[in-house]
Amino acid sequence: MNSYAILTDLTKCIGCEACVYACKEINNLPRNDNGNKQLSAYTWTTIERRNGVNIRHQCMHCDDPACVSVCPVGALTKTASGAVTYAPDICFGCRYCLMACPFEIPKYQWDKTLPYMQKCILCYEKRLEDGKEPACTSVCPTGATIFGGKEELIEVARERIKEFPDRYVDHIYGEREAGGASVLYLTDVPFEKLGFKDLMKDQTYPKLTWRILTHIPNVVTTGAVTLFGIWWIINRRIQVEQESLHQDGGKSNHEK
Amino acid sequence: MKNKIPRLTFWRAIAALILAAGFYSFIIRYVQGLGEATDLSDKFPWGLWIGFDVLVGVGLAAGGFTISAIVHVFNIEKYEPISRPSLLTAFFGYILVGAAIFLDIGQSHRIWHPMVHWNPHSVMFEVSWCVMLYNTVLALEFSPLIFEKLNLNVPLKLIRKIYLPLVIAGVLLSTLHQSSLGTVYVIVPEKLHPLWYTPMLPVFFFISAITTGLAMTIFESFLSYRAFGKRLELNILTGLGKLLVVILGIYFVLRFQNLILRDSLKYAFQFTRQSTLFWGEIGIGMVLPIILFSISKVRENRIGLFFSALLVIIGFILNRLNVSITGMIHSETYFPTWMELSITFSFIVVAFTLFSLAVRYLDVFPEEEMDDAKGGLETGISWKFMVPLWSLMLIGFVVYSFAGKHEAAHKPTGQVDIVRSVDPISDPEFKNLPGDIVFSESEDSPAPVTFSHENHIYMLDEPGCAPCHPDRYSYKLDPLRRVNIGGEAMHTKKSCGFCHDGEAAFDVEEDCELCHPE
Repeated sequence: MNSYAILTDLTKCIGCEACVYACKEINNLPRNDNGNKQLSAYTWTTIERRNGVNIRHQCMHCDDPACVSVCPVGALTKTASGAVTYAPDICFGCRYCLMACPFEIPKYQWDKTLPYMQKCILCYEKRLEDGKEPACTSVCPTGATIFGGKEELIEVARERIKEFPDRYVDHIYGEREAGGASVLYLTDVPFEKLGFKDLMKDQTYPKLTWRILTHIPNVVTTGAVTLFGIWWIINRRIQVEQESLHQDGGKSNHEK
Repeated sequence: MKNKIPRLTFWRAIAALILAAGFYSFIIRYVQGLGEATDLSDKFPWGLWIGFDVLVGVGLAAGGFTISAIVHVFNIEKYEPISRPSLLTAFFGYILVGAAIFLDIGQSHRIWHPMVHWNPHSVMFEVSWCVMLYNTVLALEFSPLIFEKLNLNVPLKLIRKIYLPLVIAGVLLSTLHQSSLGTVYVIVPEKLHPLWYTPMLPVFFFISAITTGLAMTIFESFLSYRAFGKRLELNILTGLGKLLVVILGIYFVLRFQNLILRDSLKYAFQFTRQSTLFWGEIGIGMVLPIILFSISKVRENRIGLFFSALLVIIGFILNRLNVSITGMIHSETYFPTWMELSITFSFIVVAFTLFSLAVRYLDVFPEEEMDDAKGGLETGISWKFMVPLWSLMLIGFVVYSFAGKHEAAHKPTGQVDIVRSVDPISDPEFKNLPGDIVFSESEDSPAPVTFSHENHIYMLDEPGCAPCHPDRYSYKLDPLRRVNIGGEAMHTKKSCGFCHDGEAAFDVEEDCELCHPE
């Protein structure tokens, strides 16, 4: 399978929310999430309206996702198709993915007795595996959000910027953020004004902790040897001391 | 001695109340879910149970490995008498940490999953394995107390034989998970306030765990002395006080060196809630105890020693809460509910109860001390140190709430100038609007109807799709089901007739040719 991606062009989005409802339909999510218009366990993509700009939010499907790396039970997986998928029957509900995601995407079923994490999984099982594009892009009437191979979409985005340099900001959000993602954005208004997070570029989040975790074998082996060594030296010294005390007829009532 | 009985009863009543509230919260948490019992949200997924019960709990239990390393590895036998109490605290501490994690995770019945489903890239996977293994080690280290009581000599000898490897395994496992609890937060560089965020977090968590382990040992010895009449091993504890000065000093230097290197010290001089809490943490947990423990008069005085150790503990608690709660992004959205608090307090009550039961029934403290301590209790110390303690806490609380308000007043309003170079709806270049929809002519219809998105969108006061979509005309994934209206029904309130009623727009029953052109 190719590595797929989604390109969302904010200059083309008219805010009709067809993507939102297509997502709800295919994932059997309640259409009315208590009037909530933000991402939640029951709304995996949404359109935020900010001063006339319609901004679609969804999981970024990072190349090296923080959520996948932090999950202690490996319930999240970055598949070769580009989708970051989730195995609810493995998840034990620790919410480290909610903590770690730099885009603040994973959401939790706070109202459930046995809650799961929820987020966009790029229609992995329901459409991608059958060779269909995700529900959201398939219904977009304006072509504001399109699906395709990641390389090709980056190319498309570059060409659009080249063709309309005064229309677009020269930045493909998601190309380098958090080390690269499978969801890309184009805009005419600077991203930081639209609330897009200014994240680490070209460096992935899991590396931050992996760098530290790789020290563990060293700590264990060096630590064990050092501690045994210290014990041996000190113990030997005490023994020698006691023997000499014993010879002097001193008080050596140590017995163990 | 006389006022001991009413005091205990009073505390027992309080404890019973807390446990009852905790039990109620426990029921609510499992019947109605985490959302009902806690103030947690998608913005703030980890609260008091992780911040206090787990992070602080594991740290307070650090005395177990610190003292056992001092006694069994470094062979400083002077500290032998306090090794069992500290081991006991660690053992109960970790059981309660496990219980807190059990309550906090959404699928409690799957708490064993990290044993089967592995992800070595996850810090939490590593922590959970270390904690599981360390719990086993602690249970083994603790088992001689039980074997002694039951006069089981064979297992006792066995444990004694492997005691050193056990201690070393315990020290290593503790080193790993105490530090890794800091590593947990290394993956959130943008979410944790720069006064606390640093890749050095694991080192700082480890050092501060040692300081707290030592301080807790002093604290417990003092409490046991008050409650059970155990003699205070003053010369031992004074030694710990000296050691604390050194370790706290190293910690202090490393923290500030790191802040300067990361260019984050400037945040400490901006007046925010975070900077207030930072200075509180540094002042209470580092500077004051370093000064107090350095003064030999304070160090060699029971109350001075106890009070200084308590400061280290409070500073430590502040540090862990700062990293996990107050220093985190969106912390303004979270304040623990009474149910979260009642469960946390219940854990504390259970810890105290277990500890006192163990002291009563197992040989936790060396025997000779039981006898010579009788009657040596001083009364009247309580208010001498309680007054400064409570006033300190009150001042802290006032400063805290003031700082919180100050920050809230300075929040940016969120309005930014946005100038668009393009209007997606009218943009001719992109032809963004969906095309026209032609409805085939039904029997009585004068002519076919063509619906134009373009015409309609500009009829609205505020151009947009929401007045018709998705409520009136639902978006359907399946193209065949998208247009689900036609014929006579188009004249009704269900369709065109909703707006075309003669008020919002022209009436469907008049001006036929506007829609049916001929």
